[in-house]
Amino acid sequence: MGMDKETEEIQSAAADPRRFTVLYERYFGEVFRFILRRSGNRELTADLVQETFLRAMLALPKYQHRGLPFRAWLYRIALNELRMHWRKKKEVLIDLSFTQVKGLSEEFDLRLDEDDMQRLAKALSKLDEARGQLIQLRYMDGLSFLEVGQVLGIGEDAAKMRTHRTLAQLRTYLAPRA
Amino acid sequence: MKPRFRITPQGAGHEPSDSELLRYRDSGKLSYNYQRGRDLLHRRPLYRDPKAFLALLLIVLLAWLISEGVLDGRKDPEPKPPAQGTP
Repeated sequence: MGMDKETEEIQSAAADPRRFTVLYERYFGEVFRFILRRSGNRELTADLVQETFLRAMLALPKYQHRGLPFRAWLYRIALNELRMHWRKKKEVLIDLSFTQVKGLSEEFDLRLDEDDMQRLAKALSKLDEARGQLIQLRYMDGLSFLEVGQVLGIGEDAAKMRTHRTLAQLRTYLAPRA
Repeated sequence: MKPRFRITPQGAGHEPSDSELLRYRDSGKLSYNYQRGRDLLHRRPLYRDPKAFLALLLIVLLAWLISEGVLDGRKDPEPKPPAQGTP
């Protein structure tokens, strides 16, 4: 999808909400999977996706296209929706598959077996919310640093630096104690 | 909210297929919710509606008058008759 064509589509949808359908249909699947990876429940995900697109539609006239990917803006809204939903819960459990953490395991030379994955899950659970989000965006959602930055409201360099720091922190959590 | 992570071979289950996604996609519902959301956002506030504003002002004025009347009543209690024949 060329950026210029998408810019036109966004502007056109901002002027006439009926044209938002093109963007809705294009990004529905990605936003659905993004939320499902965190909620683990299809029905709940369907509701949150609907809410995400509704908020996007209402906010679209104020959206400023600066050449950044549109999906990152949608992911940012989706994360806010999830946070609002999680506020009512006492505990949030994120279920990840071996495939989803493959890239992250390679960073630490971990094997995709039960022992190593349990260690990784324990280490991830020790991270604070912001750092946990960062790792998920980069490794489970496969976003670029530019997109990670846009979702979290920081610059690309800051996203890169924070990711490296978080990986270092995870490494210390994973290191066997003497 | 700080999440807890669990890593299992399957995770939260299989990724949704395209046909499953189609089942959840509903642009009609989105348009309907958008209309409702927009109407709520652009609803004229009460203070900009002259009739509603006047009615509100009248209620506030009445409430003020009643409260003043009650307060005045409390400030000037009826004088007690002087006590007679006390030893």
